[in-house]
Amino acid sequence: MRRSLIHFWQIHLAVLLGAAVATAVLTGALLVGDSVRGSLRDLTLNRLGNIDHVMLSERFFRETLATQLGASSATDVSYERVVPAMLLSGTAVNATTKMRASRVQIQGIDERFFGFWSSPETDELNEFLKKKSGQLFPSVVINQSLKKELNVEVGGTLLISFQRQNEIHPEFLLGRRDTLDVLQTLRLSVSKIIPNSGVGQFGLRPHQSSPFNAYVSLSVLQKALDQEAKVNAILISSPKISAADATERLEKELRQVLTLDDFGLILRQADDYVSLETSQFVLKPNIIKLAKTVAAENEIPVTTVMTYLANEISTNGKTVPYSTITALGVNEEMPEGTGEPPDNQVLFRAARLGEGEILLNEWAAGELAAQPGDRIDVSYYVIGHEEQYLTKYAQFRLKGVVSLTGLAADRELTPKFPGVHDADDMSDWDAPFPVNFNRIRSEDEAYWDEFGATPKAFVSAETGERLWSSRFGSLTAIRFGSMPGEDLERTQTIFQEQLRKTINLEQIGFVFQPVKEQGLAAASGATDFSMLFIGFSLFLIVSAALLVGLLFRLGVEGRAGEIGILLASGYTLSTVRWRFMIEGSILAGIGAAIGLVGAIGYAWLMMAGLRTWWIAAVGTQFLSLHVSPFSLSLGYLISIIVVLASIGWTIRRLGKISIRSLVAGATEFEEQTSGRVVRIIAFATTGIALALFLFALNTDASSSPAFFFAIGTLLLIAGFSFLSSWLKSDAVSEDSSSRRGLVRLGVRNCGCHPGRSILCAALVGCACFVIVAVGANRHGDSGHSASLEQTSGTGGFSLVAEADIPLHHDLNSESGRFELGFSDRDEAVVAQSQIIPLRVLPGEDASCLNLYQPQNPRILGVPDNLIARGGFQFQSRVNKEGSAWRLLYEELGEGVVPAIGDYNSVMWILHLGLGENLVMRDELGEPLKLRLLGLLQGSIFQSELLISEANFTKHFPSQSGYRYFLIQTPPKDAEEVTQVLENVLRDHGFDVTSTAEKLANYRTVENTYLSTFQTLGGFGLLLGTLGLGLILLRNAIERRGELATLRAIGFRRSTLSAMLLIENAFLLLTGMAIGAVSALIAVAPHILTPGSHVLWTSLAGTLGVVFCVGLTASAIAVYFVLRTPLLPALKTE
Amino acid sequence: MGSRDSAHKPLIRISSLSKIYREGDQHHVVLDGITEDFYGGEFVCLHGKSGSGKSTLLNLIAGIDAPSDGDILIHAADGEIALNRLTERERTLFRRNHVGFVFQFFNLIPTLTVIENVTLPLNLMGKRNAQKSAASLLDAVGLGARTDTYPDKLSGGEQQRVAIARALVHNPRFLLADEPTGNLDAETGESVLTLLLRLSRSAGKTLVMATHATEIAERADRVFHIDGGKLILHKG
Repeated sequence: MRRSLIHFWQIHLAVLLGAAVATAVLTGALLVGDSVRGSLRDLTLNRLGNIDHVMLSERFFRETLATQLGASSATDVSYERVVPAMLLSGTAVNATTKMRASRVQIQGIDERFFGFWSSPETDELNEFLKKKSGQLFPSVVINQSLKKELNVEVGGTLLISFQRQNEIHPEFLLGRRDTLDVLQTLRLSVSKIIPNSGVGQFGLRPHQSSPFNAYVSLSVLQKALDQEAKVNAILISSPKISAADATERLEKELRQVLTLDDFGLILRQADDYVSLETSQFVLKPNIIKLAKTVAAENEIPVTTVMTYLANEISTNGKTVPYSTITALGVNEEMPEGTGEPPDNQVLFRAARLGEGEILLNEWAAGELAAQPGDRIDVSYYVIGHEEQYLTKYAQFRLKGVVSLTGLAADRELTPKFPGVHDADDMSDWDAPFPVNFNRIRSEDEAYWDEFGATPKAFVSAETGERLWSSRFGSLTAIRFGSMPGEDLERTQTIFQEQLRKTINLEQIGFVFQPVKEQGLAAASGATDFSMLFIGFSLFLIVSAALLVGLLFRLGVEGRAGEIGILLASGYTLSTVRWRFMIEGSILAGIGAAIGLVGAIGYAWLMMAGLRTWWIAAVGTQFLSLHVSPFSLSLGYLISIIVVLASIGWTIRRLGKISIRSLVAGATEFEEQTSGRVVRIIAFATTGIALALFLFALNTDASSSPAFFFAIGTLLLIAGFSFLSSWLKSDAVSEDSSSRRGLVRLGVRNCGCHPGRSILCAALVGCACFVIVAVGANRHGDSGHSASLEQTSGTGGFSLVAEADIPLHHDLNSESGRFELGFSDRDEAVVAQSQIIPLRVLPGEDASCLNLYQPQNPRILGVPDNLIARGGFQFQSRVNKEGSAWRLLYEELGEGVVPAIGDYNSVMWILHLGLGENLVMRDELGEPLKLRLLGLLQGSIFQSELLISEANFTKHFPSQSGYRYFLIQTPPKDAEEVTQVLENVLRDHGFDVTSTAEKLANYRTVENTYLSTFQTLGGFGLLLGTLGLGLILLRNAIERRGELATLRAIGFRRSTLSAMLLIENAFLLLTGMAIGAVSALIAVAPHILTPGSHVLWTSLAGTLGVVFCVGLTASAIAVYFVLRTPLLPALKTE
Repeated sequence: MGSRDSAHKPLIRISSLSKIYREGDQHHVVLDGITEDFYGGEFVCLHGKSGSGKSTLLNLIAGIDAPSDGDILIHAADGEIALNRLTERERTLFRRNHVGFVFQFFNLIPTLTVIENVTLPLNLMGKRNAQKSAASLLDAVGLGARTDTYPDKLSGGEQQRVAIARALVHNPRFLLADEPTGNLDAETGESVLTLLLRLSRSAGKTLVMATHATEIAERADRVFHIDGGKLILHKG
């Protein structure tokens, strides 16, 4: 065996190398997957340090909460570190150069934060947060990314803008929306620039790109935001317990230390009631529900209060301006009849008011000269679409007049509202809504002086709910009486405890997220790179296996005589087969072992490629080689199986050749499968492929990779079966005098060894299949030439913008722009543009730009005007009737919301399909299913999912304002509009990009992936070419006698060269044609979809290059064949 | 019997012909300055041991190989051709037009049918009526019914008859045969030889044959023995 291996070392070396190539490619693909996953894991651990859990709240809470949690862990070693922090996002501007960076992560921290990255470098960072003596502004430490973006050095000054946290939601009537009210800007001095790793890479959202980080002293941020001793985040390190255990324990402990104040709730005790109120003016619906439930369970009597501002109360031509009206409701049957306490008079009567009935207090009734039965008109503001104030009107019939005593005189019915309740006079109001001070009369001032904001009218709770409830809530207070058998104080204690125990912490945003666990889970990647590379390397692996089979066959054929002698000497067939199998196993084993080294090299090369040439695909340089023993073992095993199967396939023919033929050196090892069987295979596979093709064409499966691979593989099999059948037929028999004759001769020579020829053509065909399939998917307009048609991926919008800080004013209206600070000149530039604002729920990037698997993708709320306008191209949708965008209005039942996503993101990144649900939790902690009813094709919405604005505000009520903008503007004005918008709205971090550029970014990623796979196709081609060369050499060696004869009878060397080249060119061309046609048919369902365009010229060019490369390789082989002396062959058989 | 009288110029004139093969530092002299003339229509037999240089001489005369020294002059209708002064391309053309070759192992093209093998030289020369000429020759060699058969379906003798037809079909000036019966049994060899002689003589062709077989030599006009690189006349 050893001698045999050594004796035939040349062919064995070739087999061994073939096995090595197959192993290298297969295992290398697995290692690429390992490396991407491993790198993302490293990156996650790097950016989070020892942080395991984070609680990031929408609102600020006591800093001491962290201390309390930390204290509880002092007796329990569960948490190593509990650190409060302020984690904000905003914009940074270089004060000198005015260079700007958006999406800057602003971390308000102290020395405790750096402990998560325990290294001497981070330990000393705290010193850089402190303001040095003589330094004008507080210090800021920034990371390298931000430094690069702003071109700032240590000592430079930055202006950092971020959102102010106002208790009252900006979109509520009393919310503040003016830029100065929502924006805070700090001037800071850069004290240190840290590298983009470890603490410098810190970020909670999994993304491979380096964030822009700015680190500021916690106290500086607290002061700037007027949130002394408050934070919005707690970071925890809990290495000793599992993430699930830690989450559970944290929630339990948090519940113990939380107070109602932390929830923004106030329990105010009066003489005869306790009132549950909120600093946010209206109680959230979930709090109302919970409070009512707790009250009902404890039989606590409840009065609901909703106080709202009326702009005017009018009747009989008289008007009272700016009055509060209270809607009252009770949860128990009120005693009827006389003798009721005077305090309850209002409550009793208001609770029994019908729809359209109102009570006025005696002052208001007097001012209006109103009598019961009079029509009372009330006007009030509501916040309309795009956050403008709309005046609404309601008509009532005066049911009665109440005296200004008891509850009717309770000024506490109106929650305190800074800027209003503390004003001495009404004319001093500092209200966020428009107030016409001219309407305020001296009588009104006198009422204000005596009764303050005491309501002047009362309606029923139902009326209040109907008129003034919003997504923020429908009550301003809930008043409780004593529970049966308990005094008020005890009732308050019981209520408070039960509320705290039962409140859903998630609903109020107090949730500890196991960020490290989530990050590591997300590091499995949106794309399984192992499968991706195996998928596209599959043809390469098959090619390598075919090559191994081919080489081994040549080896066995060369030893036909030896086999014949062994059989003639009495060896059994199985012994001989085993002998070859063992030889093959040894070769495969050694080859695969060498291949493992190659695999590491291959994966290293791919990683190097992804870090450099193909960086556009992954956007990070953090990728490094990770080798897992499991992948190595798996790759080794699979490769050996593949190689042995290939060898086994070759030697199974041994028994089908007569010993006599073998002894005579017969080399016809080729399987003589009957032409009929081959033709049946050819027709059957063609039929199935065409059926699948038609099915894919008429369904939404047009872009399904499964269909692509199935159709492609079937067509390849069909193509090569037809070729095999043809080569085996006596198709050609003509003279060889002309060129055509020479061609015929060449072609006929291919039929001499149809198996070899088919293998050879298959090698080329597989490579060509990959190259063409990938090439047909390439996008041509990766530049900046995207269409601005309404039905294109840009939707007809030339610009798209995002803001770090939400805008609350209408950019389409002059008044809105005025509020935002547009000058007349700016106004003139922007006025021609149509801007559609969308709401944003921050989340993870769901596009191919993010390597991590997004778990909570970003969501946009689509306003009605965009739905009405329509546009963009849909790849597929559930209902083909009517406007696809209107699908967002579908009612799908409780907890299910219609959504639209981009096909690429949904399919490849989120791994979902049409009609499937993305399950998440809404702001209230309730499960929410986003059902994908439409999928956009190649749109600008690849990073997010879209739902209707109504559903957005329903499920994410606390998200305020608009942060995403689609801008329709004439292309010639685009640059100027961009400049104006970015300049005027710079403090909002307004970042405008052309839609073409946005699409180009996505397409660059796709095209780069495609380049990677084309490279794999190129490797396949290399193997194919090698196969071609080997076949040519082998054939030529076997036909040396024939060639010598031809030379002897007068064939010129050039004629022989041409003949040999024609043979190879024929195999090359048929292989290419079968591969290319199969690929084009397989991708046809995709390329026939509207909007797809194939770069035919580039594709033809690539095929031309393939042909030239193949022919050159053949020419080299021909040169070597004909260079050796042919004459000795005349004397040999 | 070919004519050798002085009125006729020799068809092939070999003068001081040497062929030396170099293997590393060693020189292996196969033909050592031989001089001889071969005349039109004669049957010359070259005799000698294996490796004595018989095939080498045939290859030199055919222009397949080039001599190390000496001249080979071929008398053609349009004058004398100094074979050793031709380029490889010219030698190929010379072969195509003037030489018919019969090999020991028949050397038929397996992918071509019998008639295609025979027409090959005519096609190369661009001759018309190739099929007709080939068919007529195949009739002459007794294979008129096997024109569309592939070589692997023929016996050794039949294959050699096809090779003879191929060698004669383009009406060459002379025929060269290298052990044409070496791969055939005695009976078949005899019939093939008879056929070859009959056809070459009837066409008036010079036939130079390398062979081991003494019985063939008996039928030759002249017999030369090659030994030590020298050409020694044994008969004639």
